[in-house]
Amino acid sequence: MTTNSAISVEKLNVSFGDSHVVKDLSFTVAPGESYGIVGESGSGKSTVLRVLSGLNTEWSGSVEIAGQVQPKRRDKAFYRAVQMVFQDPYGSLHPKKTVDDALAEPLAIHGVADAEKRIARAMAEVGLPSSFRFRYPHQLSGGQRQRVAIARALVLEPTILLLDEPTSALDVSIQAEVLNLLQALRQERKLTYILVSHDLAVVAHMCQRLLVMQFGQGVEEMTAQTLAARKPKTDYARQLLTASEGFRRAG
Amino acid sequence: MSVIEQPLLELDNLHVDFHTPTGIVQAVRGLSFTLGRERLGIVGESGSGKSMTGRAILDLIPHPGEVRADAMRYRGQDLLTMDKRARRKLRGRHISMVMQDPKFSLNPVRTVGDQIAEAYRVHHKASAREAKQRSLAMLEQVQIREPARVYELYPHEVSGGMGQRVMIAMMLIAEPDILIADEPTSALDVTVQLQILKILDDLVTQRGMGLIFISHDLHLVQSFCDRVIVMYGGKAMETLPAAELADESARARRHPYTLGLLGCLPDLDHPRETLATLNRDPAWLA
Repeated sequence: MTTNSAISVEKLNVSFGDSHVVKDLSFTVAPGESYGIVGESGSGKSTVLRVLSGLNTEWSGSVEIAGQVQPKRRDKAFYRAVQMVFQDPYGSLHPKKTVDDALAEPLAIHGVADAEKRIARAMAEVGLPSSFRFRYPHQLSGGQRQRVAIARALVLEPTILLLDEPTSALDVSIQAEVLNLLQALRQERKLTYILVSHDLAVVAHMCQRLLVMQFGQGVEEMTAQTLAARKPKTDYARQLLTASEGFRRAG
Repeated sequence: MSVIEQPLLELDNLHVDFHTPTGIVQAVRGLSFTLGRERLGIVGESGSGKSMTGRAILDLIPHPGEVRADAMRYRGQDLLTMDKRARRKLRGRHISMVMQDPKFSLNPVRTVGDQIAEAYRVHHKASAREAKQRSLAMLEQVQIREPARVYELYPHEVSGGMGQRVMIAMMLIAEPDILIADEPTSALDVTVQLQILKILDDLVTQRGMGLIFISHDLHLVQSFCDRVIVMYGGKAMETLPAAELADESARARRHPYTLGLLGCLPDLDHPRETLATLNRDPAWLA
């Protein structure tokens, strides 16, 4: 049993009724590593994140996080160490709660004493001016909302961040800002990331290693260098890479 | 007959204004272009006015929007002085639009085949039977393998890619001259996206249609279109041949906004520690 990995998944299986959406998936992520999962819709990539984060309790196999085998229902300590950022900043923030409410809630749940300081720090870290603290989500732009979502995940000072398409709802210029922020935070805090995305260029930019998924199975695990050199071994990974390079007119 | 073909569409100084209680919001400010039988891309970030341009051409700007222009002509016919009924006749028959998401654009309680046949019968005198024949042929043209089976399906029974093909079939069955595609593939997976583009491309080439391809995806527009208009804040920053977007030697001639957009994309071939971010110059909108 490996104890020096941040996340280790073995023979993970998930079924929803008759459909078997994740099949015998195994991978490990080292502490401080940034690991990418790519695939098309329905490939099971988001489901994997939902299992890791404890949002999905219907699965079989073994999930080890920070050296501990995880039960179906996680305890409070787990949520302090592992946090998730969702795809859609328009849908993942409560419309009637201010930024301050959103950041204070996880602290209250975990009974953290110095909430005031932590909120201010989390906001500073994601580059939100303190004047934004009592704004509502509708008073923020898409990029600012995603910053709030990241601040909300960071306020508990987790060691692992699960990122589910954190920039796919954003414009490219805002995407660049959010990706830069995530890179800087990872270096500063020695965070471990799992980044799920359909965008190969984003994954290659952010991650050292990545896993290509199709129909719930891990098709190929490779390094970002292999991807940049366009040398995936499997046909499907190659196909995905070609498709991501844009349209080609035959002849 | 003149040697130079009349453009399909001419727009001169198009403005779209929204009169709101807090003031006038200018969604499009002074856009001019002509469209021939080509693939014209309009790229820009959200709020750049690219979708509003497409809607203005079709007279689909929602209340309280107002369209102004110095000229707006479809094959020489003045669209500005045309009454609503005549505009409606053009819409769908001569100028057509494919929307982003088939999930919201198809009627959920009617079979997809029925909806395609209806699109045909609205614009052409035809019996129900003939319309069905045409619809089946059209489904085949957009590369649906079993047209007869798909014809009977409801929108919730088809996948995203198939739904988008159904939409394209519906828009093309009236044989329009101009097709406006507003982010037609953004909701789709990359491999499906390429199949849809292939279909659009073939149809444009075979039928000699003019295509306005609205997208936020620079890579896609660059590889798919002939010409590209880069929009920001309702204005065209520049219009350029699509091939020049990627051309390193043409960089010096590029508008800073175009360069900024290109620069903030992560690139497999040129990995960088941090991505460039965009500095917006208020002078661009002056």
